[in-house]
Amino acid sequence: MTRDWQPDFEQLVDEHQSMVFSLAWRMTGDRGLAEEVAQDVFLELDRNLPRLESPLHVLHWLRRVAMSRSADAMRRLRVRGVDLWVEMDEDPSAPADDRFSPLGARLEQLLATLPEAQRAALILRYQEDQSPDEIAVTLNAPVATVKSHLQRGLKLLRAKANTHLKEYIRGV
Amino acid sequence: MEFEPKDDFDRELRQAFQRQPAPPGLKRRLMDQRRRQQSARIHQRVVLWQRLAATLVLACTLGGLLAWRHVRQERRGEELRQQVLTAFRITNHALDQMNRQLASHSGGDQE
Repeated sequence: MTRDWQPDFEQLVDEHQSMVFSLAWRMTGDRGLAEEVAQDVFLELDRNLPRLESPLHVLHWLRRVAMSRSADAMRRLRVRGVDLWVEMDEDPSAPADDRFSPLGARLEQLLATLPEAQRAALILRYQEDQSPDEIAVTLNAPVATVKSHLQRGLKLLRAKANTHLKEYIRGV
Repeated sequence: MEFEPKDDFDRELRQAFQRQPAPPGLKRRLMDQRRRQQSARIHQRVVLWQRLAATLVLACTLGGLLAWRHVRQERRGEELRQQVLTAFRITNHALDQMNRQLASHSGGDQE
């Protein structure tokens, strides 16, 4: 079967590096590790490119592999006894950007304290604007599980925000 | 989200979760690594073909040697067979001669 789409690897990197890096960074909480994950994901894309049929297919593939490789990287670190997010409050490289409000940056830091599955669902929901059905496909999980992770994650995040952000606002 | 009303918190989350720009050197490092991997893959392929060619040459040499040995043995067997046949022919010829001589002698005695 022939396909009309002729992928250009360099162009795909330009197009998706921010997305892949952001997913990896928010999942792992470590800039260096996120870079490594992003590189691995793109090198894997290079090997799998002949099998991908359209730009949309590439996008979904990248999201799925980025989330999976980030989870693998975190698992490897946990085996070695390193928990990256524990040190996040003191880590200046943790995902926070000057472009966003300090409140937003704080919110993002609070996200990092959530369990991995809830964090993954919320990242795909709010960064990638995916529906629960799409998140279920990306994470290879049942839709009901994803909905539950989203609801619990949001509830937990709200609760944490109520406590921490009030303190933060008082501090400002 | 269908099961969660959109409010300030939701909007704040959406804003906080915007994509971050990738580090400036990421693409360059990625392309360098890709080049290295590609050249390593090519090298591996060349080595593989070299090994295959060497195996093929070795197999051909070994096969040729065995075939040559087989042919030589066959030729030698044929030579020996011819020698034996020649020996039989000579013996047969000598026996015939003796037989004829014996026949002529026994004919003379009867007369």
